[in-house]
Amino acid sequence: MASSGSWFDSCSDIQGVLLDISGVLYDSGAEGGVAIPGSVEAVKKLKQSGLSVRFCTNETQCTRDHLVTKLCGLGFPVQREEVFAPAPAACIVLRDRNLRPHLLIHPDCRPEFEGVDCSSPNCVLIGDATDEFSYKNLNEAFRVLVGLQDPILISMGKGRYYKETDGLTLDVGVYMKALEYACDVEAEVVGKPAKAFFLAALQDMGVQPQHALMVGDDVMNDIGGAQSVGMRGLQVRTGKYRPEDEHHPSVHPDGFVDNLKQAVDLLLQHRGQ
Amino acid sequence: MLTRARCLMTTTGRLSAVLVDLSGTLHVEDTVIPGAVEALRRLRQCPLKVKFVTNTTKESKQMLVDRLQKLGFDVQPEEVFTSLTAARNLVEELKVRPMLFVQDSALPDFEGIDTTNPNAVVIGLAPDKFNYRPLNDAFRLLLEGAPLIAIHKARYYKKSDGLSLGPGPFVTGLEYATDVTATVVGKPETTFFREAVKTLGCAPEDALMIGDDVRDDVGGAQVAGMAGILVKTGKYRPGDEEKINPPPTTVCDSFSEAVYYICNKILKT
Repeated sequence: MASSGSWFDSCSDIQGVLLDISGVLYDSGAEGGVAIPGSVEAVKKLKQSGLSVRFCTNETQCTRDHLVTKLCGLGFPVQREEVFAPAPAACIVLRDRNLRPHLLIHPDCRPEFEGVDCSSPNCVLIGDATDEFSYKNLNEAFRVLVGLQDPILISMGKGRYYKETDGLTLDVGVYMKALEYACDVEAEVVGKPAKAFFLAALQDMGVQPQHALMVGDDVMNDIGGAQSVGMRGLQVRTGKYRPEDEHHPSVHPDGFVDNLKQAVDLLLQHRGQ
Repeated sequence: MLTRARCLMTTTGRLSAVLVDLSGTLHVEDTVIPGAVEALRRLRQCPLKVKFVTNTTKESKQMLVDRLQKLGFDVQPEEVFTSLTAARNLVEELKVRPMLFVQDSALPDFEGIDTTNPNAVVIGLAPDKFNYRPLNDAFRLLLEGAPLIAIHKARYYKKSDGLSLGPGPFVTGLEYATDVTATVVGKPETTFFREAVKTLGCAPEDALMIGDDVRDDVGGAQVAGMAGILVKTGKYRPGDEEKINPPPTTVCDSFSEAVYYICNKILKT
């Protein structure tokens, strides 16, 4: 399929690029997952081009360090400081507001919350807990929330599903919605599509939103989120992409590309590189 | 009361059937609501058809009947219409093979239904099955176009050790994941009441519902075109009668008084 739209005709003012990780660089799954063909080379080329590059992920199945190690193992040139993930952002929120969380998160993500006071919780924090999303654990989180006078639910991302090597898989947003419905609360989201999350990455690059491009596979959280802060959003047809995304009722990506490789080739070509 | 009774007569024409809620109306757990056994006997002497309707998710029809009979009520299995019955009817009508999220205790109500290689998802109350992997399997079926059927959408229910998540949160989560809207089959859905009276061979306008839940029993029945009597037992709380508009056709202290009202005010007016 050819790329549609003319996003690349007006990309000469792009100074920085934010890349989603899962579904754009690689597909997660058993044994660490697999790189999406062409993506390793594309990231290398992008970094060599002089454009600022950051990685914006809603990954909460592991620590940021573990994720970086995994990506390096697949051949991606990625450093810890370049990766923006929800858990470190959530820790800042907890600290700033004196919140003691009841955690419903993946066991491999726990090290990110080392030192966080979880005694007599006054909020519930959830991440992509996968198998930990059992009835028993959800019910425990529910009971904490209904027991609070002013229930606070914080969700690391609100994605509906993502792609694993063996198929599409439910994401944290589904369990966030379940708890919202059960307790009549609205969750606060850290990570994509929260504006603060994109703005933190942009600030780190020193790039204004109108000069930045987000590349992702999630039409709502990557594209919709980036556009809400004034960035441009490019959707790849890899990862969780489904053809219905091209007719999304509310989010209209600035362009579609078959994969990250095509995005980087077109971007650099039309910037005269 | 008399004005209401006349009003009921004019809207219903001829009353020919009565639907009766179970829990909170005839009994609370293993305790009979005073006068209910005798009142049901009196109701049966009237020229009226009777059906018992309830939102059950984990008890099969037979379990409900056994409990009622033990408490002294004259109730037969074929007179009971539950949300599980409604779900089964819909499954049969759609000719689908459901993945069933119901407790083992409710499975008898789905006896004979083919559940191999499923192409539909039925969500009841299934604490043992609402886990990540089975929900993921359901999600993938829904993405392939399988219909989502919810027995009801209650947020939570009371267990001896505290409040616990009901089916509603899981239905809502799957709806969010897939953009599929669940078909809800239990009370207060209009189709539930219509199907229940259809089994009695009468029109909703000729039927009346008695229950303790102002929204799920009375409001739902009235939206379906029936008359509704709210009883002040079970989960009733003062002021409930003001929570729906139009208000209940009438309010009675108990099932016993509701039967008296039907026999002496409606049928004799």
